[in-house]
Amino acid sequence: MHLDDLPDGGARGFDVPGLRCKVIVVRRGDQVFGWRDLCPHYAGGTPMAWKRDAYLNGAGTHIACHAHGAWFDMETGACVQGPCLGKRLTRVPLRVDETGTVSTLP
Amino acid sequence: MQIIGPDLLVFGVDDVPACHEFLTAYGLNAQDYTPETGGYFMSLDGTGLEIRRRDDPSLPPALKTGNMLRLQVLGVVDDAALEAVAKELGRDRQVLRLADGTLRCQDDQGFELSFRVTTRKALDMPAEKVNAPGDYGRKPNQIGVSEDMPAKPRTLSHIVLFVPDIDQAVGFYRDRLGFRITDTLTGAGPFLRPQANPDHHTHFFIRTPPYMQGCEHLAFHMGGPTELMMAGSRMMKQGFESFWGPGRHKFGSNWFWYFKSPLGCNVEFDADMDTHDDDWAPREAPMGPEASQAFLLQWREKWAPTGGPKKD
Repeated sequence: MHLDDLPDGGARGFDVPGLRCKVIVVRRGDQVFGWRDLCPHYAGGTPMAWKRDAYLNGAGTHIACHAHGAWFDMETGACVQGPCLGKRLTRVPLRVDETGTVSTLP
Repeated sequence: MQIIGPDLLVFGVDDVPACHEFLTAYGLNAQDYTPETGGYFMSLDGTGLEIRRRDDPSLPPALKTGNMLRLQVLGVVDDAALEAVAKELGRDRQVLRLADGTLRCQDDQGFELSFRVTTRKALDMPAEKVNAPGDYGRKPNQIGVSEDMPAKPRTLSHIVLFVPDIDQAVGFYRDRLGFRITDTLTGAGPFLRPQANPDHHTHFFIRTPPYMQGCEHLAFHMGGPTELMMAGSRMMKQGFESFWGPGRHKFGSNWFWYFKSPLGCNVEFDADMDTHDDDWAPREAPMGPEASQAFLLQWREKWAPTGGPKKD
């Protein structure tokens, strides 16, 4: 994925070989943050979008799980509201190279 | 207490157009809708949802948890039933009588409630018919499924609430409003049906910490399992995301398919729910995968044994 494929403030889900869940990539300016698409409300986690790539709350301020309304901080992954208060998303470390190409770190 | 069940569920949401996109794809009909103010989303018998912006001043106060449910409007059979509710609840709380004839109050845990003489229409529609040796439900030449068959939600079925105190919830809905407990999933909570509705449940309570209080999911009844499968498959094809199902629950026997939604809760299709009367003896089972479903399936893209399945 290239940085230009994701508008500032946007989110997208990607299939990553070897992972059983998608990886959510959110962009804030030139920074990107990667999270496993697994809401920690239930053990093992469940996917969070209500339709393809629809990961954010209405105001676009938080990653939201659309099963039961949990909100997560985009930069820290901490749940700030809803069923998994006190839990957090699992980070997927990302790298952006000088050409703007985004990739997962091994 | 002659209560039928939810006529209307009101939500104050973050993203009204997203709810419009989701709920119309789900099969509800938008009425008096604008992207700025929201509107109604109705099933075939006139029960449904009202979707407004979170900051709409016409809405009752929001729950402290961020859950978007703002009001349950419960339908009763007639004026006498409405008076009975007003008299019973007026004993220990303020019951407002609004200009439109409805009652407004809170339950014991702060969920906003309204009561009105139901506005739902009686449906004159056949259920899905099944053919089996010994009992042919369909006439000769009457086909069972077609790609373009209608699959519209018929009526609001039930609401499931995350509640901090099950005893308090049961104390209110069973002991004050006369709901019957039909079955209980121990560790989660009870299924309840009001007296004027034979459906296995219009309400189900799940015990949670107070910071989760709100609507866990809501469901509409479909005309049968085939309609449920068609409606859900159409949602999947359009990129909406399944949460759980399709499958068939044990308690209630209803087929289910849950979808995540911009209402901040799951929205379920259900079909072929059991009905009960007061001769029913409630069952109990510990909450868990076995008690929750007779079977569970997972959608995938169509394939045929000629070219092989598409790789996930």
